[in-house]
Amino acid sequence: MSRRHPFLAEGAILLAAAIAAAALSNRIGPAERRLAWVRDYPGALTVPNNGSPASRPRSATPVPAASVPDTVAAPPAPAKPESAAPAKPPAAKAPRASTHASPPAAPAAASSADEFAPHPEIPWKEIAPEQARTLFDRGALFMDARRTSVYREGHIRGARSIAVWEADADDKVKAFYEEGHDPKAPIVVYCSGGDCEDSHQLAQKLYGAGFDAVFVYKDGYPDWQRRGWPVETGEAR
Amino acid sequence: MKKLWTHPWLTVRVQIGLGLTFLVAAVPKVLDPPSFAHMIYNYRLVPGPALNAFALVMPWIEILTGAALVLGFFVRTASKFAGLLLLAFILAIGANLARDNAVQCGCFDVHAADKSHGQLLGEMRWVLIRDAALELLVAQLLLATRSPGPEGLQTQRER
Repeated sequence: MSRRHPFLAEGAILLAAAIAAAALSNRIGPAERRLAWVRDYPGALTVPNNGSPASRPRSATPVPAASVPDTVAAPPAPAKPESAAPAKPPAAKAPRASTHASPPAAPAAASSADEFAPHPEIPWKEIAPEQARTLFDRGALFMDARRTSVYREGHIRGARSIAVWEADADDKVKAFYEEGHDPKAPIVVYCSGGDCEDSHQLAQKLYGAGFDAVFVYKDGYPDWQRRGWPVETGEAR
Repeated sequence: MKKLWTHPWLTVRVQIGLGLTFLVAAVPKVLDPPSFAHMIYNYRLVPGPALNAFALVMPWIEILTGAALVLGFFVRTASKFAGLLLLAFILAIGANLARDNAVQCGCFDVHAADKSHGQLLGEMRWVLIRDAALELLVAQLLLATRSPGPEGLQTQRER
């Protein structure tokens, strides 16, 4: 067989060796460089509906449900969570109050409270930089969706790291859920701004885990840093 | 003309050059699979559930293809693999040029660079030309190693 069809035999050997080498390197590599072998990426076959970053509309106000991008489903009812994310808690098990260490939020004005109210009908809403700063001043939880190595070099002060492209992203979302945070408390997610969709992917995971007030700070870390707002460096929380 | 085109002097250099190209291209992908997966995702051509497996295995196919060419084993098979990989890259870039989806090649670097839509489209056109030129090298190798004789490293080592 191999003499007549060397390509088949040799090709099979090369492919088998490649798969074995990939499995071994994925197993022994550092955690932040591993990938889960199978993971779904909603929108993996959907081309963004605009090519230029400059042409992407930037929302100064929260995005209404009707204009949620086509890469994210906007179901009328809370969506079934992704298989790797924990399901919403059963009705008998009430979530515990938020336990994160940020100072308690100041009483909000009526218009601001509506602006950051939970939105269980859609996975996330985009917010402008000023809105992100408002939430920061109120002690809202910030989540950094960028790679861990990038997070270490600089992130919004107090932000937690859940790198959506790393293998343990779903485990971190599950662990965050199990900490018992208030599912209706605002969470701000961000990444690198521009065309970066990592924050949207993380927002989708958090929504699937049962968090109903996820806001995407679309302009992301570069914008925050450019404005001279509080940042820090260091290991992931 | 065919003798010039399949001359051992040329064939050895093409074989090693092509092999080294694939090795150099594969290393950053092997070192950072999540970034490479992100690059593949941006192409919007690979179904979600297959994306990570693709990102994990493809760089190793490149490494083994490159190593086979440089070291001189399975040369024809490795040449065909190289040709198929390049064809896949050409089709992927071409498809995204056609639908105005500007993406970073991810060919030799898997880290996102801050470039405009126009810059990325320009780079994609250059990548097409480059990959077409590499396909010519593959064609040379396949032609040179097709007939028995002193062409190529593989048959030289068999002597």
